[in-house]
Formats: sequence, structure tokens, C-alpha cells
Amino acid sequence: MSTPQETERQLPAGIPRRTGPEQPGPPAVPGRLERAFATFTGRALGPYQAAVVRIGFGLAWAAYLLREWPNRRVLYGDRSPWSDGLAARLLAQNHAFTVLGWYHGRLWFELVYHLAIVSAVLLMLGWRTRASGALFMVTVLSLQNHNVLVGDGGDNVVHLMAIYLVVTRCAEVWSLDARRGREGTVWLWSLLGFALAAGPPGWLWALWAVAGVWYAVNRWRPEGELRAVLDALANMLHNCGMLVIAAQVVLIYSTAGWYKVQGSRWQDGTALHYPLHLDYFTPWPGLSGLLGSSLLLVFLLSYGTVILQVAFPFTLFNRRLKNVLLVLMMLEHAGIAVTLGLPFFSLAMIAADAVFLPTAALRWLGRALGRSARSV
Amino acid sequence: MARTWSTPALAVLCTAGVVLLGGTAIFLASLFLEVAPTNALSQRYRSELDQVVYPEFEQNWKLFAPNPLQQNLAVDARVQTISATDQVHTRDWIGLTAQDIAAIRGNPAPSHVDQNMLRRAWDFYDSTHTAQDGTVAVTVDAERAQLAEEYLKRIGLQRLGRTQGGERVLQIQFRQRTVDIAPPSWSAEQTPGAVADRVLPWWPVDDSDYQGLG
Repeated sequence: MSTPQETERQLPAGIPRRTGPEQPGPPAVPGRLERAFATFTGRALGPYQAAVVRIGFGLAWAAYLLREWPNRRVLYGDRSPWSDGLAARLLAQNHAFTVLGWYHGRLWFELVYHLAIVSAVLLMLGWRTRASGALFMVTVLSLQNHNVLVGDGGDNVVHLMAIYLVVTRCAEVWSLDARRGREGTVWLWSLLGFALAAGPPGWLWALWAVAGVWYAVNRWRPEGELRAVLDALANMLHNCGMLVIAAQVVLIYSTAGWYKVQGSRWQDGTALHYPLHLDYFTPWPGLSGLLGSSLLLVFLLSYGTVILQVAFPFTLFNRRLKNVLLVLMMLEHAGIAVTLGLPFFSLAMIAADAVFLPTAALRWLGRALGRSARSV
Repeated sequence: MARTWSTPALAVLCTAGVVLLGGTAIFLASLFLEVAPTNALSQRYRSELDQVVYPEFEQNWKLFAPNPLQQNLAVDARVQTISATDQVHTRDWIGLTAQDIAAIRGNPAPSHVDQNMLRRAWDFYDSTHTAQDGTVAVTVDAERAQLAEEYLKRIGLQRLGRTQGGERVLQIQFRQRTVDIAPPSWSAEQTPGAVADRVLPWWPVDDSDYQGLG
């Protein structure tokens, strides 16, 4: 059922197939199957999209952790009403992954929390991305799974993307790794090995072993076929990962949209009125009241939201329409950030949306940011 | 130009391709069935689906759907204290949610401590308990119900402290008030009638409940 021929088709139209200028010219008329196989194994598709997702989620999680720094012990640490004991009882039921249970006490918690901040920043910068991405996933899962009861939709998206990003080659562009042109060092790998040895045996060793093999082959057989096979495997894994990331975003919007269609408040066009009057989501009651005071505005935003969410997956087959909807969704999330007091949720959603941005727009954005950075 | 592979390399790549694409397809199908309404297929493969999705790929995207919450729920707590002469005093209700709201107002980046902790702890309690008196529903996991109770209790105790009026806290009680959000001004709908408060039983407090609360 999954011949390489199908792989090309499985990639949603939203993920641009073209890569940077290093793209080789078209091959001399091989069959479609060979072409699909060569694309699937030959390059990491959507390098700019992968990079922007990496930067977006690193930024969102780092910003969140820094904002909660004064509250970290109450949320996930030794001062939490969700004590180590309660957490251990729930974890015994749901078997979620966390390193916080490896040791008790404040020191270990502080180490994990600060490592979470460091790995999020390093992931954003694309520094030793294999390692920082794995650490990012481990720390995100550890903190969130230790106390799932303080999270919201934004945390859920970060959780999923942290896992998906590990299998992608998300540092091909816009990263310190790309700038330096090589990745992998023995000292970091050994250090992480020691860190792993401190905990119980687990699947993390597999990641560590893969990194070791990759380094060894690069070091001693850089021209051999084994290196090329590993490279192709990494490309395939990346391409599947990008597909999963894109599909996940589509699922989020589809679910949110299709369930809203069934709601009487979304049907009668007053739905938006209610969140604007929920105490927990009105940091600016004046602003919320103003937005909610107009029949037309509430109707348009309520219906618009549903239409946007339901329509989005289908617009992926039309580039121009997809881009228009994408901009509207990002704007809506920016609005949600302010009016409902959910900046980190919104930032995470915007980062997720960004996987569908066209390469040309991303490169233009990158150049513009680079110019303004240089002029400063 | 596409590379020319040796036969073993090609075999490895093709096998890996089949496994990866097959795995991806199965994974995405599982996520789809997880977010879709309960249907014949997802019922048939419930346990297999749960194995894929839980614990790390949980999906919960019914944001404000099918309908947004149309009530403001406020949780209050009060304590009974005991004096040195063994006299028990019942103290005034303190608005825990009101404290959260005060912290959220005017804050561009509200903390999860204020926006989520009590709110979601109450949801957790509510989902594991039924009835006004807080008795545990038979169908619900008793262990989770207990966890929810203890968590809620500790959240209250962290905010109210060990003593009030110089007396040691003996018991704690919670109540939930429900205020319906009035329909928009242009709507002909009536504001729904007032909902009775939900008052939980007194829960005894001992020193171990305060462990780590600071």
C-alpha cells in the first residue's frame, strides 16, 4: 500500500516541495516511481518550514518557562499542590514519561527546569540541534507529564511538536548548525550518555545510539555508501515527520471546526459573546466588552471562525486560498493572545500554522529580518 | 541527480520506506479516529487506538466546542479552626477563584497558576465525582477521584495557610457557585435561572496535607 510512488502524493500541497538554490536540476526522464523515490530519500522537504516550526516552538516554550520562572516550584516542583506522591500515583496509571521521578528533591527539579529553558533556547538557535532537540523533548515531556493538570491547549501542541521535531532535520537552514556546516561532537554525546546512565534504562538510549552511529560514520566513512544510506534514511524520517506535523495541524483545525458546527451557539452566531465574558479569559474586560457589544462583529467573528477552521484543510489544494486563510488564522490567534489572555497558546498555534507558509514568503521574511538585524 | 544504489542498500531503503510510510499512515489514522466522534471502527479497535494515542499523543481540540462554556464557575473555600481551649470556629468563605481573577485582570501574560491550576483541578474533581454531596460515582475510577480530592484540598490549603486567627486549621470545605453569563443584549433569550451552590463536605486536615506547600 505504500509504494514510493504514493509518497509524493501523500505530501499535502501545503508543504512546498521546492527547496533552496542547492536543488539539483531535473533528472533525465526517469520513471515517476524513481522520481518519487529520489525525492523521498534524496532531500529533506520543506527545510524552511521545519526551521520556522523549530524556532517558533523553542521560542514559545522558552518564553513560557521564563514567564513562569517565579512560579516554577508551585507548578511542577517541590511546592506544588500536585505533590510528588500524587504525581507518582497518576503516572503509575497512565505510564507517561518524565525524568522528574528519577530523583526527588528540589535540586533535581531545578536542574530539569533550567535545562528545559536552556534546551528551548538552543533549539531555537539551532545549536547542536540533534542534542538540543532531544533534550527539548525530554524536558517538555518531563515537566508537563509531572503535572498535566496545569496545562491547556497550548501545552498540548508544544508536547506533540516536541516529539515530532525530534525526527525532523529542522536545522538545515536558519541555525547555528547550518552556519557552522557540521554537527556532532563527542563531548556532548558522552555527556548525554552519562546523564542517561543516571536514570533507569529506556528508549532514550536508542536516540543516543543513533547519534553515535551517525557521528562515527561521518567521521570514518564520510564517502561510503553507508553514510549515504543513513542520510537517505534521515531524509525519509524527516519527510514522514513533516507530514505528521502538517497532518496534526489539520486535525486540530478540523476537530475544532467540525465540533463547533454542531454547537447551538455557533449556529445562532452568539458563541463569541460567551468566552468574552468568562472571568478566566478576560484580562481586559473593557476590550472584551467592546468586542462583544456589536451584534454584527460577534456574528461575523463566530461564523468566520467556524468557516475558517472547517475550510482550512480543503484549501490546502489551492495555494493562494490556503495562504489567505493562513494569514487570517494567524491574525485570529494574535487577537486571542491579547483578548483572552493566552499569549503562549497563541504563539504555539502560530508556530504550528507556520508549517504551511510558502517557502518564498519564509525566505523573504528571513532576508528582511537579517537586514534589520544588521542595520541595528 | 538521483544516486545509484547497490542492491543491499536499495533493499534497506525500500524496507525502511515501507515501514516508515506504513507506520506514518497507521499513526495518522489513529489520531484521526481518536478525534473523530465515536464510531464503529474506533469502538472495534479501542484498546489498540489507546495504545497509540496515550499517554504521549493525547488530542483535545474541542476548544469552545460544541458550545463555549456559558457560565462563570467560582470556587470558594473556608476552614474550621480549633483554639487552644478546644473551641471550634467556622471561618468566612474566601473566594479562591476571585483571587485568580484579580491576578489575571490587566495581566498580558497570566500565569498558569492563576488561569489553569484551580480551574482545572475543579474540572478534574467534577469529572471524577457526581452529585451535590460529592459522593463518588460508581463508574468512575476511585483512585482518580481520590487524587482529585487531595489535589483540590492542597490547593485550598496552600492559599489559606495552616492557621487562621491564630488558630490551627482543623477542616476545610469547598463550594462552587455558578453564575450564568447573560445572553447578549440584542438577544431575546431569558437569562437562565440561578443555579444552586454546590457545597462539598468538610474534609479533615492534618499535617501531612501541608507537605511541601511552603
